[in-house]
Amino acid sequence: MTVGFAGLSHLGLVSSIVTASKGFEVVAYDGDPELCRRLGGAQLPAFEPGLAELLAAARSRLTFTADPALLASCGVVFFALDTPTDEEGRSDLAPLRHLVADVVGQAGGEPVLVVLSQVPPGFTRSLADDLFDGRQPDSARVFSQVETLIIGRAVERALHPERFIVGCRDSQAALPPAYRKVLEAFGCPILLMRYESAELAKIAVNVWLATSVSVTNTLAELCEAIGADWSEVAPALKLDRRIGPHAYASPGLGIAGGNLERDLTTVATLATEHGTDASLVEACLANSQYRRDWALRNVHSLLVERNGQPLIAVWGLAYKPDTSWTRNSPALALIRSLAPLAIRAYDPQARLDPAAFPHAAQVESALEACRGAAVLAIMTPWAEFSTCDLREVRKCMAGNGIVDPFACLDPVSCSNVEFRHLRLGSRVAPAGLQP
Amino acid sequence: MIEHLRAAPKAPARVVVLGASGFVGCDLLQHLRELSLEVVGLSSCDLDLSRSDAAERLAGMLEPRDAVVVTAALTPDRGRDARTLIHNLTMAEQIAAGVALRPCAHLAYVSSDAVYADGINPVRESSWRAPGSLHGIMHLAREHVLTDAARAAKVPLLILRPSLLYGARDTHNGYGPNRFVRTAMTDRVIKLFGRGEEKRDHVSVRDLSRVIGLSLLHASVGALNVATGRSRSFFEVAHLVARLAGDGVTIECLPRASAVTHRHFDTSATLKAFPTFRYRPLDDGLSEVVKEICAIRA
Repeated sequence: MTVGFAGLSHLGLVSSIVTASKGFEVVAYDGDPELCRRLGGAQLPAFEPGLAELLAAARSRLTFTADPALLASCGVVFFALDTPTDEEGRSDLAPLRHLVADVVGQAGGEPVLVVLSQVPPGFTRSLADDLFDGRQPDSARVFSQVETLIIGRAVERALHPERFIVGCRDSQAALPPAYRKVLEAFGCPILLMRYESAELAKIAVNVWLATSVSVTNTLAELCEAIGADWSEVAPALKLDRRIGPHAYASPGLGIAGGNLERDLTTVATLATEHGTDASLVEACLANSQYRRDWALRNVHSLLVERNGQPLIAVWGLAYKPDTSWTRNSPALALIRSLAPLAIRAYDPQARLDPAAFPHAAQVESALEACRGAAVLAIMTPWAEFSTCDLREVRKCMAGNGIVDPFACLDPVSCSNVEFRHLRLGSRVAPAGLQP
Repeated sequence: MIEHLRAAPKAPARVVVLGASGFVGCDLLQHLRELSLEVVGLSSCDLDLSRSDAAERLAGMLEPRDAVVVTAALTPDRGRDARTLIHNLTMAEQIAAGVALRPCAHLAYVSSDAVYADGINPVRESSWRAPGSLHGIMHLAREHVLTDAARAAKVPLLILRPSLLYGARDTHNGYGPNRFVRTAMTDRVIKLFGRGEEKRDHVSVRDLSRVIGLSLLHASVGALNVATGRSRSFFEVAHLVARLAGDGVTIECLPRASAVTHRHFDTSATLKAFPTFRYRPLDDGLSEVVKEICAIRA
């Protein structure tokens, strides 16, 4: 059986390649012919661990095309365009609606249509009604499926999903055989529910995670103020069965990446419209914004006694390790906020746009970034940073301040070479600054 | 958050300071002159903003390329009642009408952190504005009056909300560093309510002037808190002042009249707006105040 994917941004790309790796013939469509040409040549637009290898292994079962007519042969078509959001986390669903209309109009046939994109509650029902004018048999072949990919771990999560959440017009009816066959290839539970429940389930997962992040960040900041250490507190939480070992209990620089913010904003908007209380969600968003500036405040705290125009070294540009994505990256937010102070940055994968950051220069090694720097900010916890030679770093730098939110570096080792090392969730002992 | 209409600093054609004889206005005039800006200071002797013809008179004094800084207000030491509130609002009404008659190039209003609700920490520019005093209500109402006027006249508006200010020439004598310094030097005593547990963010009036100066150079618009980001208890401040004032200063604790509250600021917006600006540490600022008062007395 052939499975179709429409929209080859991150979600569509990962999902189509993973589906091909399960033995299905896959037609992967995108309206951008250049993207399809590059994908046909195995050139991926962004780094995702394991994806290039999976693509190489499944290449013979994949057809990348800019022609929607090729989807006519598919029993199931997944619409997997990542929903764009603005700076306030509001979704723009117009590109997805256009994509669906184009494909249904041009591909023909009667495939099962599955919306895999991130959509708010009510979207799939209205889409089905619009497409088929409310005709029951046709609109019943429209489904929404919840994606729970995590950038940087997308392949792992797509290959081994915990469950499938499927929104249906009639949750009591059996799934169409073609769709069921695709889902069963992954060997996990399949939860059928009405459209709105499935769409809200996706948001519910993210809001739940966002509150965990916010609670962690709130308590980590308190640790910094009262002399506790969150790295000592967190294991106690994770051993509590009601919280669990996989809980989001690591402090961070707010909620990054865009997906959680989008779903928080969706809940806030829905709550306003329907008159339900969303003060918790508003608090999460406010706390996220506040914690995002943690690095900025601490870089300045290390610069407080410095005059002139100090150089700041930044390690890491991607919004998290093992990806080249920089959208909503705290590193870029920091670099932007430090202008016009001079920045020297390094990242193993992500690139800095020199036009957008004229005060910053990207260099090719971590050590090079540190030469003459007053302060080092480690904004993405790439594994290679934790194995750096701290004595060499110390020799390179003009100052002795390190802002290391994710504790890439060992605090004791930093102290041994007289670094003033600031990390999330822990108060640093007062120490003098180097000239 | 504020936004700079001029990325590179450039002197405004002229700066007109309303309230030039007040605590903030005086210091600001001095600072702007140190920056070699052309400055005109107007005090209530030059222009009584509570009079019904003040708008026309102000309009007659303004030039289109002027930057106008509003520091004029009756401060709480002159009254905390409704009459003071109305008086201050009348002044704002006249300023708004004057700007409408003669739009200027830039308008800056020195408001107060009293516009924020009590008990919310850390305070940031987006914090809930729900003042708990007539003084705070006055500043919030003035912000609205001037915002509407500036929007209508297409004048870029900056609102600055300073935390507690201190400085040698302070006339308010409010509870805090200013009063502590005075009583320490005259009576060799500092009186605290309770044990002075309340934490506040104390800002040197010099630093407020520096922030205003930078904002004028960059033609900044929006709202910005003026706070150091480091709150200290009155107890700490009292001990600091006692040390600076020399031997023999005692600290007395009086019965507390109200519950302990704290105020802290998130200063991220200032760090983003002015990355090279540094607030002077409280120890240094108070040391300067003590020296200045000694010099004035001598």
